[in-house]
Amino acid sequence: MTGSNNETGEASAIDSLIENEAEIIRLIQKDVSMLRDNGNGNDIHRIINEDKILKGEFEHILQRFHDNCKREDGQLLEEDEEDLFDKDEHMTKSEEKREFQSEAQQEEVIPPENFSHVAGEIYRSSFPRVENFQFLQTRLKLKSILVLIPEEYPAENKEFLEKSGIKLYQVGMSGNKEPFVNIPSDLLTKALEIVLNPDHQPVLIHCNRGKHRTGCLIGCIRKLQNWSLTMIFDEYRRFAFPKARALDQQFIEMYDDKEIITLANKKNWLPIQW
Amino acid sequence: MPESTNYIPPLSFSPVVSTDVSLYRSGYPMPLNFPFIRDQLHLRTIIYVGDKQELSQEYQDFLATENIKFHNIFMDSCRDPAVDERMNEVLKLVLDIDNYPILIHSNKGKHRVGVVVGIIRKVLQGWSLTGIYQEYGIFSGGLKGEADMEYVTMFETCLKVPKEKVPRFAIF
Repeated sequence: MTGSNNETGEASAIDSLIENEAEIIRLIQKDVSMLRDNGNGNDIHRIINEDKILKGEFEHILQRFHDNCKREDGQLLEEDEEDLFDKDEHMTKSEEKREFQSEAQQEEVIPPENFSHVAGEIYRSSFPRVENFQFLQTRLKLKSILVLIPEEYPAENKEFLEKSGIKLYQVGMSGNKEPFVNIPSDLLTKALEIVLNPDHQPVLIHCNRGKHRTGCLIGCIRKLQNWSLTMIFDEYRRFAFPKARALDQQFIEMYDDKEIITLANKKNWLPIQW
Repeated sequence: MPESTNYIPPLSFSPVVSTDVSLYRSGYPMPLNFPFIRDQLHLRTIIYVGDKQELSQEYQDFLATENIKFHNIFMDSCRDPAVDERMNEVLKLVLDIDNYPILIHSNKGKHRVGVVVGIIRKVLQGWSLTGIYQEYGIFSGGLKGEADMEYVTMFETCLKVPKEKVPRFAIF
């Protein structure tokens, strides 16, 4: 809600800037006719350039105008902040849990946040932390992990994968940042190719929160299972709650699965087993 | 299977266990969902936890043609004192490998099924309560369901079942 308030605040600031600028231009134009009478031509910009005071004022306004635009852009990125993998956050959360774990029963297993079964031995979740490793290894008996973030995999996770013989596949995509950045279709096809291959299963798919990028990939898996779009979106929204994105759902709808279907049929990966 | 077939899974459908046996959860299956259940899940058992006593003719016919065993386990609210007993009935079915693949459904697939799955996660699989609450939250649309979670937290059972019939996913 604060975002939209800011937006209107920003807009009116820009409005008043424009008004301000219009006023100055009116003044300049008044001067121009005077200057023109003095034989200085009618090019406003040249006049601005030649008059030091005018030039200063003009540049000041331009500067403020651009600053405002920049701030707007900044906000747009902030909204999607949680898509970014934050190393420090990952560490602190892991450490908090580590202390807690030593007191808890040893046999208890802790699945990662937003964990769920997708189909057969395909699973989804948010970024697994130290306290989830046991679950991944002893319960899911993972053979591979497919991570959908472009950032480097954290050292402790890498170490765990090496120790437990889990193979890491990375298809780095930067998520649908509405409305400017889109998940490229060919990356998704690449990701599906990894997931559907039974040699890689049991496989866990995760991004940062397990909501958007993972949701898009699961949506495309559901398409391969011939689910109705309504139920695909229902599932997408369940896991993305409360941050469902229209463009993610559009992406799922528009994704052209011809290429992956041809490949999957050739390799006998379809239908996907439950 | 024709590629053009659009399958419509029941509300809130999801696999719960897919390792050695197949256990699914969902909301109430409607005729629209029957092709999906028939072609994809190949169920042997359906467990309904809920308050509706009567089955529609279509549902009865579907169960009969597909030869699916139907168990109606009455569950109203988890404050009901008889609910422990009912829960044990569900667990008994879940702990018999001969009943799989199983679908457990309630009406919307959120709360009652959420509690049953929570109990399975806790008692049979040893999940942490955090993980159980999380999963409940995903399917209930962010609702915390305090009473439901309290029930899961407090639930204990001394159910005895034949060991050789217990599926491998249940490690407790």
